[in-house]
Amino acid sequence: MILMRYSKTLGAEFTAHLDLMRGIGRTLARAKIEVKYSQGYHPHLLIFMSAPLGLGIKSYSEYCLIDTDESAEDFKAKFNKVTRKGIECIGAWETQKKIGVASDIVKAKYLIKGIGEFDERDILNSTEFIIKDKNGNDKNVRDLIYEVKRVDGDVVCVLGFGNGLRVEKFAEKLVERYGGGDLDIIKTEGLTMDGKPFESVLQGGE
Amino acid sequence: MDLKSIENILKRVEKPSRYTGGEYGERDLKPSRLNYCICFPDVYEVAMSNLSIRIVSEVINRVDGAVCDRCFAPWTDFGDELKKAGIPLYSLGMKMPLKDFDMIGFTLQYEMSYTTILYMLDLAGIPLLRTERGENYPIIQAGGPCAVNPEPLADFIDIFVIGDGEDSMRELAELKLECKNKTEFLKRATEIQGVYVPSLMEVEYYPDGKIKSFSIDKPIKKALCKDLDKGAFPDKMLVPNSESVFDRAVIEVMRGCYRGCRFCQAGFIYRPVRPRKPETLINQAVSLIENTGFDEVGLNSLSTGDYPHLKQLIGGLKENLPKNTKLALPSLRLDSFDGEFVQESKKNSLTFAPEAGTQRLRDAINKDITEDDIERGLNMAFENGYTGIKLYFMFGLPTETDEDIYGICDIVSRIRKIYSQDKSRARGLRISVSASTFIPKPFTPFQWEAQILSEDVKHKVDILKSKLYGYNTNLSWNDFALSEIEAVLARGDRRVGKVLYSAYKKGCYFDGWSDKFKPDKWDEAFEENGISKRFYTREWGEDEILPWDFIDCFVDKKFLLKERGKAYRAEVTGSCKQGCKGCGIQKVYRCDV
Repeated sequence: MILMRYSKTLGAEFTAHLDLMRGIGRTLARAKIEVKYSQGYHPHLLIFMSAPLGLGIKSYSEYCLIDTDESAEDFKAKFNKVTRKGIECIGAWETQKKIGVASDIVKAKYLIKGIGEFDERDILNSTEFIIKDKNGNDKNVRDLIYEVKRVDGDVVCVLGFGNGLRVEKFAEKLVERYGGGDLDIIKTEGLTMDGKPFESVLQGGE
Repeated sequence: MDLKSIENILKRVEKPSRYTGGEYGERDLKPSRLNYCICFPDVYEVAMSNLSIRIVSEVINRVDGAVCDRCFAPWTDFGDELKKAGIPLYSLGMKMPLKDFDMIGFTLQYEMSYTTILYMLDLAGIPLLRTERGENYPIIQAGGPCAVNPEPLADFIDIFVIGDGEDSMRELAELKLECKNKTEFLKRATEIQGVYVPSLMEVEYYPDGKIKSFSIDKPIKKALCKDLDKGAFPDKMLVPNSESVFDRAVIEVMRGCYRGCRFCQAGFIYRPVRPRKPETLINQAVSLIENTGFDEVGLNSLSTGDYPHLKQLIGGLKENLPKNTKLALPSLRLDSFDGEFVQESKKNSLTFAPEAGTQRLRDAINKDITEDDIERGLNMAFENGYTGIKLYFMFGLPTETDEDIYGICDIVSRIRKIYSQDKSRARGLRISVSASTFIPKPFTPFQWEAQILSEDVKHKVDILKSKLYGYNTNLSWNDFALSEIEAVLARGDRRVGKVLYSAYKKGCYFDGWSDKFKPDKWDEAFEENGISKRFYTREWGEDEILPWDFIDCFVDKKFLLKERGKAYRAEVTGSCKQGCKGCGIQKVYRCDV
């Protein structure tokens, strides 16, 4: 199996998750990378994607696990030769075990541009950070905010997944509190629980 | 323009990937001496499935000094946002405003997309009326099947290309590169076969509104690509960013149809039948699959079962394509349905179009399908595991009586009987019956026929409801108001353009989308312009000059009249494969039948 880390930028950030998945399947076919199929009445390609990214959020840290016998050495070049604009393989690693690309990435680091001036201690020293979930209910997601800091006028943060927290909601809340607009959100790193880049789970013999 | 400037808009609209471009296979386009933009007046998912715009792009991009970009109708949410932000409609490749192109070409696939053309021009900041566009605006061109009656769009379009685009579009692009201004171009373009320039023709009318004359000496002959194997065909295609309506690679196995169903416009305007060689098709399919990564190839034509080398083609495709590639054969007739060619993708439901409920009416429309054909085809379908059948019929065909509507119900009962003969079939059979109102179309033997009225449709639907409801049969029929306007636009003259203009100004566009169709606004537009719909949907006199009579599609009017007569006697003409029927096309092409 191959674990691929890829970017989603240059307009590809507006492609929905299922379309992206279909597109990756077709890119692999063009690259002549043979992917295994599931068994059963409706066989499908064995490609496992990391959790969906909100539309319009750019990323340099998307992952997908591909059931193939292809070597990692050739994978990146083959994939990038025939990929669409904005979807680029950044790294590829071989693995013998099926790793949880959706379940084991539990937080992510983001760069958010377009937020007004504020002191990050406002957030970090508080016990509450309330956002509305998709049903309009208030949710305190403070526990899922691991890091917030200002870097060159932008916001760098590490947010956990769950409890209705999505980075775009977090950013909108910051705009509501501190002003700003024309948000540009970039996911820079998908992280494991201990804060390491996801591909680090393959270290140690993989 | 770049994507950055509309990022915030994209975040607010549905399916933003429709508007970003960047698909795999997109050429790195740069403005050139002739910048042409092919436009499709419907949304991305529909447009990206269309073959004609890919052929036109290929033709234009092969011309030295020309570049072809593309633009599709933005859905209303994005259109509203563009208007609000003052951003003119742009092309997907170069992100260039439409109004900065030299030439914009619309494909006319469906009459109900005409107002969407106006919507796109409006969003682009281009005046809708050709008389209001000077040298500073692009030339607006149109082509495609509906262009065989170009007159309803004569007020808006500068130049039409009627017929095949392979040669005519190349010649047009080459001419545009030579010409200094629009006037010179439009004048010289008329020398190209298939080209019609509405500003160079006047129409005179009798006091009763019927056409008296056209001011051109010779009819406009449609453009004809005689050798499709040599014609431009893209061996690469863009891979859509989002799922398109036909999400697969497509090859066009042949153009034209041997059958000559009397209601079918495509069957007459695409004559002669020109099958491609199997070798050409296999090469195209292999190249498309390699270059796209699709796992399905559609073998498109008006009647793929009639393709003379179908077995050889399927064999060759199976041999040369990757093993998981599925073949899709749309447009199969009941009498050409063969177990060998059954759709390979696992589908439970099969669609057939008997069109009429009785043998008499099927003979009248020259459908040339017998009860035995239906039985044989269905038996084969059931043996191949199909458990759902979708049937298409038409209401209001010439000579139709109530008996023909009851005949639809009889067909449904017979299908049930055939299915239940084999008791081992576990699942119940699902049947859906879909009926649409017959629309008399130009260049068919039924071009003179009247369209039925709303009350007739209601009567026929009532019969079907009373007979089919409660028998596990899904019945649907289309909106009569939509069919009526489609008939007016299909058979309209240039006076109908005023109605189109008013309807658009009242908010009508995306009329083919049932939730966007506003029949009351259309009615207001007809009324305000003093135009009666019935004038265009009535029966036309055989000696009357028809709005499209200045176009020559090479099928003789005498032949169409003869066919009309045969329809009234329920006589079948049959397929061209059984021998030449003398339609007139042999004057310009030697049919290989």
